[in-house]
Amino acid sequence: MTETITRDVAATEPAKPRTPAGRRRFLSVPHLLLIPAILILLVGMGYPLVWQVITSMQEFGIKQQFGQPADFVGLQNYIDLATDPTMWQVVGRSLAFCFITATMTLVVGLLLAVLMTAVGRTARLTLQISLLLAWAMPVVAAMTVWIWLFDRRRGVVNYLLDMIPGVDMNRFSWLSNPLTFFIVASIIVIWMSVPFVAFSVYAGLTQVSDEVLEAAQLDGANGAKRLRYIIMPMIRPVIMIVLLLQLIWDLRVFTQITMLQDAGSKASEFDLLGTYIYKLGAGSQDFGMASAVSIFVLALTLAISWFYVRALLKEDEQS
Amino acid sequence: MKRKYAVAAIATAAALVLAGCSATGEPADDGSADGQDITLWLMGGDTPDELRDYLKSEYADATGGTLTIEEQGWGDAVAKLTTALPDAANTPDVTEIGNTWSPTFTNAGAFTDLSDMYDELGGDKLLKSFVEVGEVDGAQYALPYYFGSRYNFYRKDIWDAAGKTVPTTLGEFGETVKSLRTDAQSGFYVGGSDWRNGISWIFANGGELAVKDGDEWVGALSSDESVAGLEQFQDLFTGASNAPVTEFDSTPWVNINNNDATGVPEAATIIAPGWAHWSIGDITPDPKDSTKTVATWNDDVFGTFVLPGVDGGVAPVFAGGSNIAVSAASKNQAGAKELMKIIFSEEYQTLLGENGLGPANLDYASSLGDDQFAKALIESAAGSKLTPAAPGWAAVEGAGILEEFFGKVSGGGDVAELAAEYDEKLNELLN
Repeated sequence: MTETITRDVAATEPAKPRTPAGRRRFLSVPHLLLIPAILILLVGMGYPLVWQVITSMQEFGIKQQFGQPADFVGLQNYIDLATDPTMWQVVGRSLAFCFITATMTLVVGLLLAVLMTAVGRTARLTLQISLLLAWAMPVVAAMTVWIWLFDRRRGVVNYLLDMIPGVDMNRFSWLSNPLTFFIVASIIVIWMSVPFVAFSVYAGLTQVSDEVLEAAQLDGANGAKRLRYIIMPMIRPVIMIVLLLQLIWDLRVFTQITMLQDAGSKASEFDLLGTYIYKLGAGSQDFGMASAVSIFVLALTLAISWFYVRALLKEDEQS
Repeated sequence: MKRKYAVAAIATAAALVLAGCSATGEPADDGSADGQDITLWLMGGDTPDELRDYLKSEYADATGGTLTIEEQGWGDAVAKLTTALPDAANTPDVTEIGNTWSPTFTNAGAFTDLSDMYDELGGDKLLKSFVEVGEVDGAQYALPYYFGSRYNFYRKDIWDAAGKTVPTTLGEFGETVKSLRTDAQSGFYVGGSDWRNGISWIFANGGELAVKDGDEWVGALSSDESVAGLEQFQDLFTGASNAPVTEFDSTPWVNINNNDATGVPEAATIIAPGWAHWSIGDITPDPKDSTKTVATWNDDVFGTFVLPGVDGGVAPVFAGGSNIAVSAASKNQAGAKELMKIIFSEEYQTLLGENGLGPANLDYASSLGDDQFAKALIESAAGSKLTPAAPGWAAVEGAGILEEFFGKVSGGGDVAELAAEYDEKLNELLN
């Protein structure tokens, strides 16, 4: 009896409109298919993370690297870090670098995106292709050229600046002083990340409907007002996401800084978090401490992101 | 939607399967070198191609296996060695290491004990100070590969025009090169953070970087002798060098050669490792490659002299050079030891000398020749000194502490204060 009923239900089901119950059963296959991806994430990212957390609570030096057992020291590494003024200088410098650079990147990217919507086809394509080229350039190749540009002896930057009457930039050593060092680093990082911002914002801008803009124009809104009151609110989510990504990227910037250090100075005043961790771990073989700083950076990144994720969620609820 | 999932599934499956493929079986070490393919890591470009080819062909003749030589940059070699040496799948079988890193790696157990073949490889004839840094409890792990030493190159034309003669004391040297400095020309070009040259002034004044106190190594930068040396270096840098205070790894010979833009040199004097003489001279286009230039030594314009000591004689300069060792994790111990035999053979040692690299086996030092470069090399090497054999020395170098310290000294900081501060930093890493 039960069997008949079941069969009856099954037989009638295809005729029915899709019910939530039917959809849930259908979804179990995709759920299964997600398992390999989750496994890869767990193995690929979970394992290093767990290793890092464990190592950060050990005294792990070069002898441990060659097989000797590591002493468990609990939170001692973290306590040492928290009481080390060098660490806080590096954190402060990294945060300042990351906020300034990310904001500048966003401003320049935004302006370029607006420019792309405003100019004709040829100009836009030229702009887009050059942005793509900058984006596609391998970091090491680009860095080599940038270092040449700012070279003390033969850099074209010094050469051009020196031609301005009254400016003496002959042999100016950009990379010898932390302030000018980070200005150069910031310029390079901005150059490398502007294309991503410009394209993302441009994509967002194309979604702003012409009707709305036209209506605003008829109501007497000029270009600046349309940008501020119509376009910006509409592409706000894009800007928020792009800014968040930029902040995270600029906080963990490494290649650019380490290559500039090779050309300039390795002193600790020139360190950001990335190079600080590298020097601790790979340089002085204090892997325990390096792991502790890495975990700290992870927490810092989460803290910055959390603020943004919450803002994004709120925005989602409102719309 | 379904198709998207299917694509995702195939992609993840592929990723899993491909990841599983990477582990391959290695043949077990059966104690014979026959047919073993091994890898040798060389640091930087110091070993010329001629010597590399010799090693490859000799190794193939001896074992039938292939020798692969991989060149590692000096800059990040410590990091690479630290990660590769413990890993049997990725370790080089034989590796060159900076002589000053030997204590760190030998104490950590990175290398194979070579005591049983030490005598066969040269024994007492090998350069003693280099053997000592590679020893733990009387057993030899890392052996000398080659030694170099630093001496001065100067522009005879500039010195003569100013009526200067080769100085006999370190103080006289300082005064002479300071008088040769102009805005466009360093009397003595040295980077402000270039500690490998700067430590000569510490050594010459009787100071040390670190000393062993009982079982512990402690920084000795703040000893009276070291401070005197550092102050002398500070005075020299500020008075004679136009290099940036942050410069640490310079190619000073570009400064003593005529600048192709101005036609005059930017330095009257430099200090450099002996092999730099191949890069010093009159610059002419390379007949083989028009984009490059070659330097031809010109005795009328260029000269050499060793850095004089405080009271005359020879100042102790940094004993540059490398050690060489067999990785303990290597699966090809037999092949690796075979390569060591080739490296310590008379032919190879002679080749090193002929190429201006001090041979590990001093019996073959005569292969360096008897020209002025060989003489200056041997004379300066005789008084040369190594960095402390502390287990944590590689960490000190890797952390860039000495670059930072010398940069601050050259920048005009208070030497005694800085020395005390950096002794603390050294103490954290040395042991």
